[in-house]
Amino acid sequence: MEKISVVIDGRTFEAEKDTCVLEVARRNGIYIPSLCYNSEVTSSGGSCRVCLVEAHQGGRMRLVTSCNYPVRKGLEVKTDTPLVHRIRRGVLELLLARVPDSEVIREMAAAEGVTEVRFRKDEGENERYKCIACALCVNVCAEVVGVHAIAMVERGADKKPATPYNKPSDVCIGCGACAYACPTGAIELKEKDGVRRIWHKDFKMVRCSVCGTPYIPEAQVDWIVSKTGKDRSFFDKCPDHRF
Amino acid sequence: MKEMTQIQDVSRFDRIIDRYERSEESLLAILQDFQREFHYVPEEGIRRLSEVMGVPASKIYAMGTFYKALSLTPRGRHTIKVCTGTACHLKGAPQILETLERELRVKRNGTTEDGEFTLECVNCVGACAMAPVTLVDEVYHGKTRPSKVMDIVRKQVEG
Ligand code: SF4
Ligand code: FES
Ligand code: FES
Repeated sequence: MEKISVVIDGRTFEAEKDTCVLEVARRNGIYIPSLCYNSEVTSSGGSCRVCLVEAHQGGRMRLVTSCNYPVRKGLEVKTDTPLVHRIRRGVLELLLARVPDSEVIREMAAAEGVTEVRFRKDEGENERYKCIACALCVNVCAEVVGVHAIAMVERGADKKPATPYNKPSDVCIGCGACAYACPTGAIELKEKDGVRRIWHKDFKMVRCSVCGTPYIPEAQVDWIVSKTGKDRSFFDKCPDHRF
Repeated sequence: MKEMTQIQDVSRFDRIIDRYERSEESLLAILQDFQREFHYVPEEGIRRLSEVMGVPASKIYAMGTFYKALSLTPRGRHTIKVCTGTACHLKGAPQILETLERELRVKRNGTTEDGEFTLECVNCVGACAMAPVTLVDEVYHGKTRPSKVMDIVRKQVEG
């Protein structure tokens, strides 16, 4: 892999060519707000727009989303300019209008000084309550888990992740990776008496034979066993008591 | 008995699916054929298509919700669209809509009880010079008047 050097906020860093700006910044302790990007998920990013930065290259400047902008030779990035903050405030104001009940968005907006919105707010327990329609959950389910239980349905302002017909999906394994990845905690995952409920479906959990904690859905064990050929008994114990 | 109908059901989808190549590119065309044949895209159709094509049902369902030309709920044999775009609105679209609602006994975006008509509003169909515009099964009728609109509908569907 070709190494290049890139300047971020006046400091020079070595990085592999084509790594995204956000990744390089994170590794070097430079904070850029982000929501829809997850470094483990190739198809993530580019949707929430909060990670925008100034990219200076060849005498020109563009505002770009740092989570999918590749570092190249001669690139200089500025993450902390008045322009970046002004545009980000606009993005956050829109997000706040869409999901005023999301703590994450409220905090991120407040950090930029945005506490009020000039637009009609979308409040309450509606169908996509805290969801900013970034599709990270869908990408995780498809790319990382590989089951495609959910997809982004509807369009425009109604866009949201859902199972077909909002019914329990026949392929969902109840792993909860979508809920874990969601930047705003918009996906409901409940667990009670050894049963997990997610996406309208109940999953019986396997209990650890040592501590008795229900820790993984049976359906997920089935899936892993069928995909990897791993021995079933491996899942008798939870990760804490495995070795 | 239930099983019988189920088997029959699947074959009516397979007849359509079999006309196409087994590839993701065929999906939209197949959904359009479902729409034409059944006047909507039935859930069992999506599930069968997913099974045959090996494409996740979630993806096909998402397509179904995305395209305006596809409907996931049963629709009438005929679709009446009243343009309520700005020009048509000013030229009396609301009255046309009211007339149709009253005469057909159906609310906008609803389907008549006999499954004959679905009534819809659309926003500017790009024929403002003919405002107000009413479409019956995609046939444009310009300068429609409330007193004439039922005649137009009847004449067209009765051939
Ligand atoms: S549920 Fe979460 S991860 Fe999924 S689209 Fe909404 S905000 Fe993004
Ligand atoms: S984190 Fe970059 S667009 Fe969302
Ligand atoms: S507003 Fe009806 S055709 Fe343009």
